[in-house]
Amino acid sequence: MRKRLKPYLSAFRLRALLETQYRAAALGGMATQLFFGIVLCCVYSALFTQGQADVTLAETVSYVWLQQMLFRALMASEGELMEQILDGSIAYTLLRPVHQHTWWMFRTLAQKLVGVAMRLLPMLLCMPLLPPEMRLSLPESPLAAAQFLLSLGCGFLCVTQINLITMAVSMRTLDNRGISGLINLVMMFLCGNIIPLTLFPPRLQLLMRFQPFAQALDAPIRMYLHAQPPAAFALSLAVQLGWTAALWALSRQMWNTNLRRIVIQGG
Amino acid sequence: MRYIFHAVRMNLRAAAQYRASFLMQSVAQLVMTGCDLIALLVLIDRFRHMGRWEGTEVMFFFGAMQIAFALTECFGRGLTTFSSVIRKGNFDTLLLRPRPLLLQLSLNACDPRRVGTVAVGAAALIVSSLRLGLVWTPGRLLLLALSIAGTVCTMAALFLLEAAFCFFSVQSVELINMLTYGGRQVCQYPADIYPAPLQLLFTWVAPIVLCLHYPVSWLVGKPMADFSPFLLWLCPVAGPAFFALMTLAWRAGVRRYRGTGS
Repeated sequence: MRKRLKPYLSAFRLRALLETQYRAAALGGMATQLFFGIVLCCVYSALFTQGQADVTLAETVSYVWLQQMLFRALMASEGELMEQILDGSIAYTLLRPVHQHTWWMFRTLAQKLVGVAMRLLPMLLCMPLLPPEMRLSLPESPLAAAQFLLSLGCGFLCVTQINLITMAVSMRTLDNRGISGLINLVMMFLCGNIIPLTLFPPRLQLLMRFQPFAQALDAPIRMYLHAQPPAAFALSLAVQLGWTAALWALSRQMWNTNLRRIVIQGG
Repeated sequence: MRYIFHAVRMNLRAAAQYRASFLMQSVAQLVMTGCDLIALLVLIDRFRHMGRWEGTEVMFFFGAMQIAFALTECFGRGLTTFSSVIRKGNFDTLLLRPRPLLLQLSLNACDPRRVGTVAVGAAALIVSSLRLGLVWTPGRLLLLALSIAGTVCTMAALFLLEAAFCFFSVQSVELINMLTYGGRQVCQYPADIYPAPLQLLFTWVAPIVLCLHYPVSWLVGKPMADFSPFLLWLCPVAGPAFFALMTLAWRAGVRRYRGTGS
């Protein structure tokens, strides 16, 4: 088992190392996320004038910051795959005795983990500089923190499957701005990056919570804000893992079909 | 003039070559603005008010800003992607042609896909104006058009500044991205809901609020500043003035340019 995993783990390690080289990009990205976070906090401060029954301003502010800090987890490097396909160097990758789907899955995961860590830590350091009502608050309890971390891990796995589907689509269309750009836009919205999913009307909450995109960041953030009772926690985790498994099967199927069709040109 | 028509026709014909991709990207623009609009509707549904503004009034600001930004991106695409023009050495080609540089740049990559965003913005404007029961006289329509045009100038000037920075460092500068894409985010809602520093930044440094929000707030009937009509009509002029200022930075950059690539 360990031997079979070895190539994938080394792909993971190499991609992680590569990501640490993009420090300027991380800094720039962090500055942008920080600015947008502050703007959104200002908007919500203006909106929450009277008390709301189900959501408070402090919760919404924390939600916004967690989304901004974890934003990098949503995006994948389909540009890299595109480039390889267009200039033909995908041939080298195809020659490796590995399953392509799993190979790219490990690479995407590595990129997400390191990319997020590089932006999250400096942003946390910036928090004390903000006015108190605009800061990310601590997790509700140690239990909430533990649930958040566990669920976030599942969220990373789930969003990676979504990215792999997007990548499979761009492999078909050879244009990562068309359909796959569209999927990315819809993903940003349904993940709660544009507007917290907690703010949707109560009658839509059930729908918003259980759709696949909410499993990426929304589910963990809800645990950060409020520790769940064991049954609700188990249900939430099961939904996350269920979607991950279903999307994994779908994306693997799409990759297998694509790999059979692939034609290498030139020599 | 003939050059302009020619360039626009070439762009449209190029887009028509990849019909499916063109269509998808237009739809993507539509969806992007549509998502922003849905977000606004969700907020209005929950909160009813934003600061001293009714939801419908906020929607009016939103529509005007979306239209202005989409038009800027449509005509300023050559500026937003300028760092790649420099990197590939394509700028030399432009310098060789006996046509105005900025005109070439803006028409080179004039981007008709933005119609999706304009459509959503216009829909938001029309619906909110109907619900507010605004009475439109030619003068008021002209003021709205002028303030949108002024905002386009302001945003274009910011993109121009970003492009001018490319002459000095090929990496695009994040700081200006905060003014351009940040400005779009900030100014889609009435500016007086924000704390003073943000308001000052977008009123007097990058005068989007001056060009757009002051006249529009008057049109909606809740002016942000008690300007006399004369001053109100003068507000959108800040846009072209800001643009003229930024062309100085741009000229300095062009003079410094020594060529890249081969």
